[in-house]
Amino acid sequence: MRIGSHELNLERRVSLSGWQAAGISILAIIVALAIFSIIFILAEINPLTAYAEIFSYAFANPFGLPLTMNRFIFILLCTYAFIIPFTAGLWNIGMAGQLYAGSLAVYAVLLALGVKEFQSVELPATLVILMMLIAAMLGGAFIGGIAGFLKGKYNVNEIVVTMMLNFMTFWVVSFFIKEGGIFMNPGGRGESFELPPSLQPSLIFGVPFTIFIALGAALLLYFVLRKTKIGYEIRAYGENPTAAAYAGISNFSIPLLVFIMGGALAGLAGYHYFAAVPGVYKIARTYGYFGDLAFYGIICGLISRGNPLAAIPVAFLFGGLSIGARFVQGKLGMSFGVDFALLGVLMITLVAFQFFYRYKLIWENSRGEP
Amino acid sequence: MWEFFIRSLDASTIFTIAALGELIGQRSGILNVGIEGVMLFGATLGFITAKTTGSYLLGFLVGIAVGGLIGLLHGFFSITLGGDQVVSGMGIWILGFGLTTYIGSPYTGPLGMERIPTILGLSPFFFVAIALTVIIWFILSRTSLGLSIRSVGENPEVAEVSGISVAKTRYLCVVGGGMLMGFAGAIYSLDYNPVWNYNFLLGRGFIALALVFFSMWNPFILLGGSILFGTLWQLSLNPQLILPGLMSRYIWRTVPFAITLGALLLMSTKWFRTKWGAATPEALGQPYVKD
Repeated sequence: MRIGSHELNLERRVSLSGWQAAGISILAIIVALAIFSIIFILAEINPLTAYAEIFSYAFANPFGLPLTMNRFIFILLCTYAFIIPFTAGLWNIGMAGQLYAGSLAVYAVLLALGVKEFQSVELPATLVILMMLIAAMLGGAFIGGIAGFLKGKYNVNEIVVTMMLNFMTFWVVSFFIKEGGIFMNPGGRGESFELPPSLQPSLIFGVPFTIFIALGAALLLYFVLRKTKIGYEIRAYGENPTAAAYAGISNFSIPLLVFIMGGALAGLAGYHYFAAVPGVYKIARTYGYFGDLAFYGIICGLISRGNPLAAIPVAFLFGGLSIGARFVQGKLGMSFGVDFALLGVLMITLVAFQFFYRYKLIWENSRGEP
Repeated sequence: MWEFFIRSLDASTIFTIAALGELIGQRSGILNVGIEGVMLFGATLGFITAKTTGSYLLGFLVGIAVGGLIGLLHGFFSITLGGDQVVSGMGIWILGFGLTTYIGSPYTGPLGMERIPTILGLSPFFFVAIALTVIIWFILSRTSLGLSIRSVGENPEVAEVSGISVAKTRYLCVVGGGMLMGFAGAIYSLDYNPVWNYNFLLGRGFIALALVFFSMWNPFILLGGSILFGTLWQLSLNPQLILPGLMSRYIWRTVPFAITLGALLLMSTKWFRTKWGAATPEALGQPYVKD
């Protein structure tokens, strides 16, 4: 393409450094926010005012910041659930189903310990919370494992499988918490029984201990995926499953493993939102809303290009944006779903920017050339 | 009982038309996993148009046009930019889900127009779906255009050498396919269940995607599969019609998804593949870059 004396050319990138990728990702987010201004302009709201409100509520407000932090932990765990299979070239869009299953497992433990009946436990709280965490991971890993097993054993398309499992577990949760289900809160309207105060984890600046799990998982995953033999095998499978098979890497156990690991982390996200975040402490009637929020994990995973450490700032930003967008929706009288619209715009912009991971634009002064 | 059967065929109409759209695209080598997103766009904008103008025709036209535009967007990402088709499809689905939630929410509620007249109790779109199945089968297997589409999906390099423009053929298919998906969405929101609600398709688009794999890229098997899934879907909504009192209604809602999983699993087994020789388009999902 020629503009005046300059020519705009495309050149295929030979390599892409981490910093270049980060630059492209940041640019994609800025462009997405610029495009999203259209939504505010159409609602007759000054985009600068709207963004000022979003950022100040999400990151500088004593009420907003804890919400952002809790949303950040949730998105970060969902991001890992996406990243681990993604490193193996597989798509886990089943974070919602996995986190529902994790939450169900948590409440199953509580039911088994008689919490629903007596609103208290005899065992030490720390032990029970540990059991809840393990249950959450097992529940998520079970649902994730189904997708991994079917992919590994029969090569069934994992996108369709994880999506089907999302819908199935969605209705299974309804079965357990509504219309006389065994987890139903006797006095509530279609929600689970509540966590007794003794099992509500203590908070540090409004944030439960799950933040240490989420941040610790970042370091652990970074190490496992980059520095260990199993990490190498996962990456090799992701590059080319057939070639990996020749190198003796199992085309069965890698898909199974990555989906079990991913599912377990999504299960923890379920524990986090339904048993650790202040003000909830039950499987809420609107649990589907939290399941939909899990899709932020996909964008976050794509934009951080599968790097668990890079996912931390991205999840923090997206946590804040989703909380802030919901806040301006109420404050500026916009219609429902501003946070989801933002999710969509971020995602599609990111898709367009994928191009720049592979190509770069070069301006050339073509004057004086033959 | 008869009413249940009619309702099942109406449900299958949506699956058939959306899945036919995906089938055309896949035959040309372009995978679009974002059917649900395209359908949500067609359904929501078609609904808003019909509600504000009072015209069904305009509603359907907008639904079809929007579907075509989203198909064009998917084509741009996957053909012109040569990007990963799954990434683009996911993007379209999440964009559709996110944006239609926001755009449609002021219109939440019933359409409030006189219902579209039925033919023998059936929605007229059921007959449209059958006609489309035959037309698409005919185009794909009996015309030179169909031959071009299939060759582009099987081996784009050879097709290009024999004088077929890979990019043009693929654009034609993704835009045409997108129009069908948008149309299917509009049928849902204007005829099948004319009430707008947040994220109301509840996975129909993903079932349509599974149906295409299930059909082995044959429009007639696809029609049969759609009728099967339409019936299952309807059964899961009204289990009391057939099997009163058996299982909670929430567990029934999982049935169509469970059967989809079972069908996909069956098709993916070696036994099935060798017996039926599933004809996956060879170049499906692979970007083609002209040298």
